[in-house]
Amino acid sequence: MAAPARRNLLGVARGWRRFERLWAGSLSSRSLSLAAAPANKGSPWRLLGALCLQRPPVVSKPLTPLQEEMAALLQQIEIEKSLYSDHELRALEESERLERKKADSYDEDDDRDDILLVQDLEDMWEQTFLQFKPGARITEADEKNDRTSLHRKLDRNLILLVREKLGDQDVWMLPQAEWQPGETLRGTAERTLATLSENNMEAKFLGNAPCGHYKFKFPQAMRTESNLGAKVFFFKALLLTGDFSQAGKKGHHVWVSKEELGDYLKPKYLAQVRKFLLDF
Amino acid sequence: MFSSWVDLRGFRTFALTQLLQRLTLRLFSSGAGHSVLCLRNNTIFKQAFSLLKFKASGENPIYSAGGILLSTSRHYKSKPTHAIGRYQHLIKAEEPKKKRGKVEVRAINLGTDHEYCVLNIHLTAYDMTLAESYAQYVHNLCNDLSIKVEESYAMPTKTMEVMRLLDQGNKMVLDSVLTTHERVVQISGLSATFAEIFLEIIQSNLPEGVTLSVREHTEEDFKGRFKARPELEELLAKLN
Repeated sequence: MAAPARRNLLGVARGWRRFERLWAGSLSSRSLSLAAAPANKGSPWRLLGALCLQRPPVVSKPLTPLQEEMAALLQQIEIEKSLYSDHELRALEESERLERKKADSYDEDDDRDDILLVQDLEDMWEQTFLQFKPGARITEADEKNDRTSLHRKLDRNLILLVREKLGDQDVWMLPQAEWQPGETLRGTAERTLATLSENNMEAKFLGNAPCGHYKFKFPQAMRTESNLGAKVFFFKALLLTGDFSQAGKKGHHVWVSKEELGDYLKPKYLAQVRKFLLDF
Repeated sequence: MFSSWVDLRGFRTFALTQLLQRLTLRLFSSGAGHSVLCLRNNTIFKQAFSLLKFKASGENPIYSAGGILLSTSRHYKSKPTHAIGRYQHLIKAEEPKKKRGKVEVRAINLGTDHEYCVLNIHLTAYDMTLAESYAQYVHNLCNDLSIKVEESYAMPTKTMEVMRLLDQGNKMVLDSVLTTHERVVQISGLSATFAEIFLEIIQSNLPEGVTLSVREHTEEDFKGRFKARPELEELLAKLN
């Protein structure tokens, strides 16, 4: 039971093994302007390493109405079943003592001068609590729908998309770079990150294996014997710190969540990318 | 009831004969004197008859020759019923638990599949219920994904007293007492390709207030769980 479930997950993520099974591939009308780059020995496919840079969520998601009700119910049950804490016991003692003082029965016996009564403590805490202001969940960038900013959608994963010129078209895609012999594909992805961010961004790669792939053939005009198409391998990385410098090119990069990917990416590319995005 | 003796000549199973013998024995014990004799006569006659039938079919007559009372349920080594009730070979033998046993597996390189050695997933939180419930979630997740969970234990609680400086004077007042709870889930056999997805799942499902730390299991981690023994350390210091 557990093994097939795991295999399913692996099958989803081990996209890089799937290219053996995928036959007719995906034909898209892309023309690469990198015609001068060397092709692999013996294989007509070019290899590209792409980077899927994710900014992990900063804030947790708000609870659904059902979850809220359940949480409230469990909290109530817990309070009713729990025993009194030290603070509450002290409060009870003091209230009893005050009543006895009012009744004028035991004045001298328990006349302890407490500097701070429980009531005073609670008032002080209330004051400090009112002064505390939690951060906003919906930021300015959300309201303006400024997609280039990283402060948007604090409870979702944001993915970086770049706009590049391929031949005569402007295409939105995940940042990628051509693989050079002598380096690993993950090295290609790291190189992409470095060139993109000019060493401003720090990201953590969780593993050496790619999380997805995309295969496409060049349009008929560009195809040669040794240059049939290209295969792109995606690597996932989590953004730790840093962002694009503001002086950089505007309108060429965007941080989007999973739903907004459809606005930018081509359908077949999008289908492959969505497969490896874990989003809740 | 006794006509079934004759019907059974085709069956060679001892179990069935046993059953019938037990039934007849019960009849013997429960019946009155007169009926017992009658029954006995009947059985002896029938047995003589069945004895011949058994002999003809090649059945060993020892069971039926001596009568029901003499035949017992012993399984001789030469008989076909030898070791009839054996079951210990079917159960997985439990290895005796060593007190200081530990499993240290180096990272196994299996071609493209690299496997991590024993990993410790540390979950720390101020809220004990939160840490425990998330450790439970991680454990169940590992079970479902068929990742072997070696151990799941708790580290000792650390208590921190937060002192606040009073507005008037230099006196420090006890503000609050914070307890840090840590739960550890120890796993092994995580393949490198899957580790990426697994880590991402755990990270994205972290509740508020819980810190995650995934480390390799080391000797210090193992020894840190034991209590300090001051007498032993004193003696060792005296020796050296």
